[in-house]
Amino acid sequence: MDQFLQHIVNALVLGSTYALLGIGLTLIFGIMRVVNFAHGELYAFGAYVSYALVSLLGLNYFGSVLLAGMLGLLLGAAIEFLLLRRCKLENIDEVMLIMIGLMIIMQNAELLLWGGVAKVVPTPFAQESITIGGIYLSPTRLFVFCAAVVLLIAFYLIIERSRLGLAMRATFQDRDAAKIVGVNVGSIYTLTFALGSCMAAVTGALLAPVFVVAPTMGDLASLKAFAIVILGGLGNIPGAALGGFALAAIEEFGSGYISTAYRDALGFLAILIVMVIRPQGLFAIKERVG
Amino acid sequence: MLKLEDVTVHYGATVAVDKVSLQVEEGEFVTLIGSNGAGKSSTLRAISGLEPVVSGRITFEGAPITNGKPQHIIERGIAHCPEGRRVFPHLSVRENLEMGAYRRKDRQAIRDDVERMFDRFPRLRERTAQPAGTLSGGEQQMLAIARALMSRPRLIMFDEPSLGLAPNFVEQVFELVTEIRAGGTTVLMVEQNAYAALELCDRSYLLETGNVVLQGSAQEMRENPDIRKAYLGG
Ligand SMILES: Nc1ncnc2c1ncn2[C@@H]1O[C@H](COP(=O)(O)OP(=O)(O)O)[C@@H](O)[C@H]1O
Ligand SMILES: [Mg+2]
Repeated sequence: MDQFLQHIVNALVLGSTYALLGIGLTLIFGIMRVVNFAHGELYAFGAYVSYALVSLLGLNYFGSVLLAGMLGLLLGAAIEFLLLRRCKLENIDEVMLIMIGLMIIMQNAELLLWGGVAKVVPTPFAQESITIGGIYLSPTRLFVFCAAVVLLIAFYLIIERSRLGLAMRATFQDRDAAKIVGVNVGSIYTLTFALGSCMAAVTGALLAPVFVVAPTMGDLASLKAFAIVILGGLGNIPGAALGGFALAAIEEFGSGYISTAYRDALGFLAILIVMVIRPQGLFAIKERVG
Repeated sequence: MLKLEDVTVHYGATVAVDKVSLQVEEGEFVTLIGSNGAGKSSTLRAISGLEPVVSGRITFEGAPITNGKPQHIIERGIAHCPEGRRVFPHLSVRENLEMGAYRRKDRQAIRDDVERMFDRFPRLRERTAQPAGTLSGGEQQMLAIARALMSRPRLIMFDEPSLGLAPNFVEQVFELVTEIRAGGTTVLMVEQNAYAALELCDRSYLLETGNVVLQGSAQEMRENPDIRKAYLGG
């Protein structure tokens, strides 16, 4: 029983960060129809910002997460403004190639700047785990979970309660009608890409002290983000949140009860099964943002 | 008030609007009639800034608005109630109305206007929180019109507001358009139903394959033998 509860706790912590990562990707896809292959690189970008600030400059971890988020926002806006705005988003092949190119550039830039050796970001928290009723949880992970939940709620409020969120949902539902009522669809796209990128970067920075930071981390993050988004149904935000927790649960219970070695493989196997039996996604009711 | 001079719109190699010139005076009710594919919607979309104008000029109240951004066109006071209603299906009725006022900053006045729309359309008030996609076709058309009014336009363009509606709703929609015009808003309406259009409007233009082939007062148009034969059923 303790073992089971331990897995649940682990899945919740991991799932909260998967949810953040997946929502960023599904938001961009839902509103812009852009398949963002560079999403994982923005996650890696956040992690490296955290590494640079904490390990090299001695800044505090919390500040580094905040700064990584802001830099992710700016980088996302720049990518949209400098790359995507120049091409027709309807040309899916062209956009995909651009995003794959961007992924390669970003990954190699990381390699060039920081080398291939994995980096460690120290945690500001105590190393000893907290124990409650036989369940262990490190203070770092507890913080990551709380921060992720706060960010998920903040994101929900932006989408559901703000004027910007309303305009984003309207643009997603009918782009022409949004233009007709006076929404500047171009700036909605910039903000969407910026917000999605910000979420990836924040996730990377949050998790920097939990995992190691290496140039290949973006690949796995991208793969997982896609898995989460597919689980939840493309463009479906609550679906992506649930998909994040579902993937984490599959990985956690799979490695606990089947084999640790197949941890990632089990997650992807689950995706394959979902794609065969429920291609619209596990939680897809109808395709929508919000 | 609104003036188009030799306006041309292309879709790739297709010429949808070919050197169209027309004019709408303040307070007028003008209709664009013509069969399917004549270029009526494209003309309205060009005015709204949704389609690029390749040549020609559009002016509104003397100011050039050719190829203006849609958000600037609506700020100048031109609202567009598009073909097929195009309400935001997963937004609530209230949110749809709020989106209509997207460019306005006067929050209190927007709230009052939403209330006024609900007074005017009691059926919408009953469905305030309901997603617009769940409304009937007629209700969606009411919402689309109310949304267009939310920008407080001085010129409102309707694109086939009666399309696909049950007969009692068709009548209601035309009554509403007449009311809006009586309230001082200038109206430019596209309508395939030439009979109804020519009953209601002051002046009309007939479009065929992107060209204005005939224009005149409603009465002149109604009495024109070609129109009678081709559009009014003899
Ligand atoms: N998005 C589009 N892409 C390509 N051709 C279009 C598009 N929209 C309209 N057309 C073409 O332009 C012409 C005029 O269409 P439209 O303005 O919709 O006519 P109407 O509103 O009078 O029915 C038609 O030949 C139509 O096929
Ligand atoms: Mg049309």
